[in-house]
Amino acid sequence: MNHSDGHFDEMTGLLYLEGQLDPGRASEVSAHLGSCVPCREIVHALETEGVWLREALAAEDESIPARVIAAPERGTAHWGWIAAFALGTGGAYTLWSSFVEPWLTQASQAGFTQGNLLTMLFFTGAFWKGWDAMRSLTEFMAVATLGTLVIWLLRKQWQRFTAIAFVMGALVGALALPQPVAAADVQHGNPGYTLPAGQEVKTDLIVAAERTRIDGDVDGDLIVFSDSLIVNGHVKGDILAFGAEVRVNGPVDGNVRVWCQSFALDSAVARNAMAWTGASDFNEKSRVGGTLTLFSGATELDGKIGGDLLAYAGDLSIGGSLGHDAAIRGGKLNVGPNAEIAGQTKYKGDHEPEVSPGAKLGSPIQFTLVKRGTDYTRGRYYWHQILYWGAGFLLGLVMLLVMPGFFFDVAQACKRVGPAVGFGALFLFATPIAAIIVCATIVGLSVGLPVLLFYGIAVYAAKIFVGAWLGEQLLGPGVGVGPALGRLALGLAILRGIRMLPYAGPLAGLIIAMWGFGALVLVLHRRISAPPAGGSLSAA
Amino acid sequence: MDRRTTTGTMNDADLAQVLSQVRAGDSDAWGELYRQYAPAIFRFCRRLLPAREDAEDATTEIFMKVRQKLGTYDSSRPFTAWLYKVASNHCWDTLRRRRIRQDLETGDLDTLPLEHPDPSQLERLQAEHTSKEVRTGLARLPDRARMALVLRYYADMSYEEIADTLGVRRAFVGVLLLRARHQLRDALSESGGASALKASAGGTP
Repeated sequence: MNHSDGHFDEMTGLLYLEGQLDPGRASEVSAHLGSCVPCREIVHALETEGVWLREALAAEDESIPARVIAAPERGTAHWGWIAAFALGTGGAYTLWSSFVEPWLTQASQAGFTQGNLLTMLFFTGAFWKGWDAMRSLTEFMAVATLGTLVIWLLRKQWQRFTAIAFVMGALVGALALPQPVAAADVQHGNPGYTLPAGQEVKTDLIVAAERTRIDGDVDGDLIVFSDSLIVNGHVKGDILAFGAEVRVNGPVDGNVRVWCQSFALDSAVARNAMAWTGASDFNEKSRVGGTLTLFSGATELDGKIGGDLLAYAGDLSIGGSLGHDAAIRGGKLNVGPNAEIAGQTKYKGDHEPEVSPGAKLGSPIQFTLVKRGTDYTRGRYYWHQILYWGAGFLLGLVMLLVMPGFFFDVAQACKRVGPAVGFGALFLFATPIAAIIVCATIVGLSVGLPVLLFYGIAVYAAKIFVGAWLGEQLLGPGVGVGPALGRLALGLAILRGIRMLPYAGPLAGLIIAMWGFGALVLVLHRRISAPPAGGSLSAA
Repeated sequence: MDRRTTTGTMNDADLAQVLSQVRAGDSDAWGELYRQYAPAIFRFCRRLLPAREDAEDATTEIFMKVRQKLGTYDSSRPFTAWLYKVASNHCWDTLRRRRIRQDLETGDLDTLPLEHPDPSQLERLQAEHTSKEVRTGLARLPDRARMALVLRYYADMSYEEIADTLGVRRAFVGVLLLRARHQLRDALSESGGASALKASAGGTP
């Protein structure tokens, strides 16, 4: 016996009850129990405790979730993949035939003679900074791929690692960003920056200032981030400018690319020019040796363009000369009495072009009237709707297979319509504002940008969750992945139909986005704040 | 009552046939097998893992493993025993990966004094608490203690199987179970306001 008073201990009693003692020891205990009441009582208590435990553990007072009830049959998802593949192929073809090919054709007809526009923009323009930059891009892609792989591997720990993964991923992203150009003169205005006349910068010049004035010469590229930029000097490379107001009065040997509110050119640009502006003015003295690409509101084009014109302009007025063809899309086109267009002019717009009798045109303007609003009579419209549906379904399919638990949770959270829409409305608007504010700091940038990226994905995915929930409401609880896909397909089709309604459609789309986004927020909150192991089993 | 023999409603012959069809790649047979055993495995996971979502995910993942590993199953042994072994290994791995266990180390447990309970107080404790309260108390136990109780009293595993799953010596399983019972009694006493179970001085048999 283990105890000094002749009784055995609780451990021995338990092992005896569970048949874990060797036969000799068991007989000894059995004999003792026949004559010792206290030991018999304790063994009896342990025995009833064992029965009690078994009964408590076996009690079934919790329902089995729908997704656990039926088999996740592999074959049932095949039709989903086939549909997704077919839609993907159709979508790619439509994207190419509807957008890319006409654009390239248009660009080609507009005289972009260097193969294609991307080549022109990136390899001969101000964007192309040599193979070093390309190597950085390759490295970035490699890091991004690696990051995606790591997230995939850690997906099961998602709820525990969310914050860490987020920050680490952001830091990796930030570190992978290309390093600043070393061989350049970098100037920070305080608040303004002026390069005086007579001075010459012998390398690239990068300026960030409130107001920038370049009276001297730049023997390289000029890159400026400034509210106001005036260039009076000679720039021997390209000009790349971001600001509110940009005026170029001095000669430029390279290209000019500007993103600004208003742009004025009063000098000669030896190569190409591209402007994304609210308003632009190419006055009589302006010259562009190559092509001019415009994405502009109101535009006055009174100078001389040696190459072609490709313009997306709200209101374009041509008073100068064009050496080759013009492809124009916009609201209004006015061709003045002094205008000369040597090649063909194609114009797509809302109004007939106004052409002065004095204008000299190589050929009559080919005009296509653009109809505004949804044209429900066109088959292409419905095909596009099917593609939009397919894109949502494809993303839903991937989410369902990659993170089924999370997907079902969010879809289920959609049934709490009030809180979901409420939180969705709040976070839908607050998240981008908060992210942009966070982006204002260098450290915050590494968090803010991924937040914006995830925000975009989440807003797009919102309708998928609502669709999955809606499908389940209509067809009953899903069982397994295959039926869940069917419900998702039906729900998304109904939502797409609602979205197609005139007038009410866009509003419904916004509410659906808030609804699904809110459900996502609710589940994320629940998962992140879930108690660690040891929490109540009966909580759910 | 052996829980592992009451899981599912298929008899041995049917089960053998279904398993053979699953091995041959029959999706319908797999569906049948899943429908028979998934609810029990979900309940098993539900008693081991902290959240319902975790148990749902674990059930899906366990059956994915079962499908992959079915070739290694020895048909001379009970299928449910093998199934629960796969499930318990998966749940224990899940808990271990999270590294938030509050278990005492083995050495500490070996030397922990286990005071004898008062049989009458034990009976009162059993009478005062519902099954739900017992499971709530169980959820508050350290992972290893909870694992031990569930493996033994829900899945009816042998001491060898429990030792193998938890990676402890077989001789230590009894200590683990007794210690877990004490911890559960304490947890229920604290939550229920019942009087202390520990016997008063000299009150041991």
